[in-house]
Amino acid sequence: MKIRSYKPLLPLFLIYALLILIAVAVPGMWQPVAFFMFYVALGQAFNIFMGLTGYVDFGYVAFLGLGAYGMAIAIKYFSSLGLISILLGILLAVVMSILLSLAVGAVALRLRGAYFAIATIGVNEGFRYLIEGVRLWGGSEGIVLSGLMRRTFGRETANLLSTFFSDILIIAIAILAAMTTIWILNRKMGYALLALREDEDAARVMGINVTKYKIMAFITSASFAGLIGAVAWTLKLTYVFPEDVFNIHYTVEAIVIVMLGGAGTLLGPVVGGLIYGVLKYYLSVVFPGIQLLILAPMLILTIIAFPEGIVGFIKKKGKKSRISYYLR
Amino acid sequence: MPLLELHRVTKRFGGIVAVDNVSLEIDEGDAIGIVGPNGSGKTTLYNLISGVYFPDNGRIIFDGKDITFLPAHERTPLGLARTFQIPRPFGSASVRENVAIGAMFGRAKLDVESALDIADHYLSIVGIEKLAEKEAKLLTPLEKRFMELARALAMKPKLLLLDEVMAGMNPADVDRIIEVIRRVKDEERIAVVSMVEHLMHAITRFAERVVVMHQGKKLVEGKTLDVLNDPRVVEIYLGKRVV
Ligand SMILES: Nc1ncnc2c1ncn2[C@@H]1O[C@H](COP(=O)(O)OP(=O)(O)OP(=O)(O)O)[C@@H](O)[C@H]1O
Ligand SMILES: [Mg+2]
Repeated sequence: MKIRSYKPLLPLFLIYALLILIAVAVPGMWQPVAFFMFYVALGQAFNIFMGLTGYVDFGYVAFLGLGAYGMAIAIKYFSSLGLISILLGILLAVVMSILLSLAVGAVALRLRGAYFAIATIGVNEGFRYLIEGVRLWGGSEGIVLSGLMRRTFGRETANLLSTFFSDILIIAIAILAAMTTIWILNRKMGYALLALREDEDAARVMGINVTKYKIMAFITSASFAGLIGAVAWTLKLTYVFPEDVFNIHYTVEAIVIVMLGGAGTLLGPVVGGLIYGVLKYYLSVVFPGIQLLILAPMLILTIIAFPEGIVGFIKKKGKKSRISYYLR
Repeated sequence: MPLLELHRVTKRFGGIVAVDNVSLEIDEGDAIGIVGPNGSGKTTLYNLISGVYFPDNGRIIFDGKDITFLPAHERTPLGLARTFQIPRPFGSASVRENVAIGAMFGRAKLDVESALDIADHYLSIVGIEKLAEKEAKLLTPLEKRFMELARALAMKPKLLLLDEVMAGMNPADVDRIIEVIRRVKDEERIAVVSMVEHLMHAITRFAERVVVMHQGKKLVEGKTLDVLNDPRVVEIYLGKRVV
């Protein structure tokens, strides 16, 4: 292992440190920063699949949704174990997302490009109808945990869990996702993914087991999605409703973030997530109600101007300079 | 035991029989040229050997192992490498990374660090070391051919399949590439099969044995000069004497 190949983590951790500083030092900034971090983490998680493989999963939010339910179920049925139920929830969220990614991956990842994308559209809707239709996990009434959490954990702890602890966990997930990404990029897996993203048939002939690497990226990405859903939704909001979590809206946001920042780059989803989160947050403060009308064209223009994403663009420009050591 | 054996291999595309009942043996250290008019099945033959397609009939044995239906990525590590008639670089990767990918996943199976290190060696063998940092999609078609050759060599194959790798090269480049291929072949005892369709002088210098394909069939096989002066071969090349 060469230290040099981990240098690109530096600017990324600087951004995280700055954000945490702002959150702690500037009064009233904790919640906005937590809001940005959700998008940063979402972008990072999605990038591990979409960015590294070049495949678009329109059903991606199903992993967040399942993760959210994993946490909800754990708290609902094991709250007597105290805070251990939260750990259990994290575990369950990851396991459920992995199982779903294996099922979807085994079928859909045999399809190429656009066919994969189309096949995955149904996954998310399917889950929502399943839960609502057969009244699984509370059906359309969802799972509401606020009362239970106050009673079993105590008012103080319950409050801390949703207003502080969940935000810290999201930051931790974002850090973990970044480290996972660069770890993948620096290994054979990163080169295998780079090759199959460019030309899957040529990659196979070069000796690369493309299905294996695609599924590995898919599972990794899905696990992070499950974690995010468990923490940013259930733990933070203390309720889960199927129409909220199985909402394709979040998949679209994830795609925009990855494209905005630069698909397949390490820093891209962080930059993309920040820009998206900041714009969305402040536009809704300044222009409540019409924020999307302003946000959408801005995003489209940026993506047209930087087809390889903002970080992708800087990376290209800075190829010969020292910046290149810090960008991936 | 031959390195590669094709036993009566056939591949059809709809009504077209692209490869028709072809049998062939290749030994370690062979230098074989494949010629034949357009559409005679040369590339399809490569696709069958490298696992891009599976044959409809026949068997393919490599190094004593039946690979007829082995997926492409599982036969490559056994010691196969090829270039593509239309180069297929991994466009957004650098030239060095392209070659390193060959070294990582081919028979060489190097780790990332060693693969990136050795890539430069192969780039200088084919004479494009100056392009190492360049994005592969920015190369000229000719440079892409050099890169594909370096990538294939970095895989350390036992059998190297070159699909018109010298097309478009000037005579000096052709000479140099032939020199490189011969040297690697002699040093590492690998077998090289090359299609040098439009470069007859190259084939006479490189190949010890020539196979002529015609309408999917193996028309003739034998010593280079004998084959190229065979009346049947002369005839399919529009009645002109080739050499
Ligand atoms: N994937 C495919 N689908 C349908 N037909 C194909 C396919 N690949 C090859 N063929 C057909 O098979 C025949 C043999 O083609 P092939 O590419 O092997 O010839 P070739 O000898 O390499 O020709 P060239 O000198 O033009 O490269 C042609 O008629 C071609 O059209
Ligand atoms: Mg051909």
